[in-house]
Amino acid sequence: MNDPRGDAGAPVFTVNSDGACDDAGLLRRIGQGDEDAMAAFYREHGRVVLAQVLLVTGERVLAEEIVQDTMLAVWRGAGSFRGESSVRSWVIAIARRQTRDRLRHQRLRVVDDAFLADQPGSGPGPEVTALDRAELAEVKGAIRELALPHREVLGLAFGSGLSLPEVAGVLDIPVGTVKSRLAAARTALSRILDEKGQDQ
Amino acid sequence: MNADIRSPHLDLGDLIAEAAGQPIGDRAREHLAGCEHCQLEANRWNLVADGVRGLAAAAPEAAAAPEGAQPARLRRTRQRGPKGPWRRALLVAGSAAAALVLLVGIGTVTGLVHVHLGGPSTEAALTAVTGCTQLEQADGTLAHVTGDTLVIKTASGQPVTVTTTASTFVSTSGPLLSDITDGASVMVRGYGSGGTIAAAVITVGQPFSAVNPAGFVLVQGTVSDASTAGFTLATSGGTRVRVTTSSDTLVVVPHASLGQLQAGSSIFAVGQAGPDGTLSARGVAAITQLPSGPHIGVSVKDCSSSSIIEALDALSAAPR
Repeated sequence: MNDPRGDAGAPVFTVNSDGACDDAGLLRRIGQGDEDAMAAFYREHGRVVLAQVLLVTGERVLAEEIVQDTMLAVWRGAGSFRGESSVRSWVIAIARRQTRDRLRHQRLRVVDDAFLADQPGSGPGPEVTALDRAELAEVKGAIRELALPHREVLGLAFGSGLSLPEVAGVLDIPVGTVKSRLAAARTALSRILDEKGQDQ
Repeated sequence: MNADIRSPHLDLGDLIAEAAGQPIGDRAREHLAGCEHCQLEANRWNLVADGVRGLAAAAPEAAAAPEGAQPARLRRTRQRGPKGPWRRALLVAGSAAAALVLLVGIGTVTGLVHVHLGGPSTEAALTAVTGCTQLEQADGTLAHVTGDTLVIKTASGQPVTVTTTASTFVSTSGPLLSDITDGASVMVRGYGSGGTIAAAVITVGQPFSAVNPAGFVLVQGTVSDASTAGFTLATSGGTRVRVTTSSDTLVVVPHASLGQLQAGSSIFAVGQAGPDGTLSARGVAAITQLPSGPHIGVSVKDCSSSSIIEALDALSAAPR
């Protein structure tokens, strides 16, 4: 174990044989005040957390501040990690709480689940056709226009490397609700693409 | 698979897991491979997932920003926060290492896909794919295949573990004449003379390549009377054409199984970097006609699955 307060030697990271950092080991060292471990933790997770927060907030400066707050919370609370989830889902859950608090202060309207209940139809409708025709750049643009909960669940499912049960854990909802929210997000995305197609 | 017996198709969880690059069960994988409805649905979810990943890929530039902001916040809050080391580490984390690869354009294949050939690499096992920032590639020699996983030995000798899923595009190419059987749907590119085509490249099954080297005739149809010397090709218009083959004929088999890949082949895998240096592949091409050793970097038009297939297909049809 590296003693960050010691004088001798270069910092030693906890590294597996294949070079990957041991997340739990990093957190233990962060809990002991190891700054090098914190830096390694940031390198390991900062990019993914920032991407997720940026997707949700849509504001780069705000997202970076939230990531700072998240990493500060990790620094303070690393010792509270009990290993009941993956470290990735733990830090994203922290980021989500930080984001929620910030958005609450900004008094942004958060769409509730009732709004999200629009389930996709059983067969391919015009929205699906729109998705079939869409180019990647159009899809990215349309994702930015989705409601916050839709952006959030898409980011967690496809941008954060979390499994569906882990996404459910972060959002604190059942896995089935994650699925229906994802389906609703795709329907909303398709409608945006369809509307844009009709405008052209 | 769907627990709901009223629906024969994959359930939403499998489709989402597939698009997220996470494992799905064998039954689901088999179903997906043979179900056009589910493949369409999977493609739609893949497009959504690609969009999210594309947006996420735009974030790394900001990763360095906390270098200036984080310590200020920590000082302001007077927490026992990181100081110098973290600042230095963030600087390193935020700077992209420049890949130094000697790129020489082959320029023989197509104007749609840009293929570059370079010298043996001693750099990272996973290298960037030009045209899509969230894609990376591993290339080298196929060491072995175990289940859904294959191991590639790179030019610098590093082993890379590549994981695949049911939707991973897998192709193989080489002198694989035994894969041309009666009833197969093929596209033949070659030299026409006297009502006979001397086949240079034969693609077995969709997707047929958009690549057609200059001077080649191109005919699609169904194989009959297949032998080691050639076959008869029946076109959709009813025309029957004699096709001759030889040991020089290159056969491309898109949608191959991992079991068809031959150890020792030159192999290219494109996908997302996974944990521990692994690659979660969206496309794999084993190309026996290319010499192993040199690093070949592939450029794609965009991050879509069709662009990946197009790029690997162009590589597969590359001449010896």
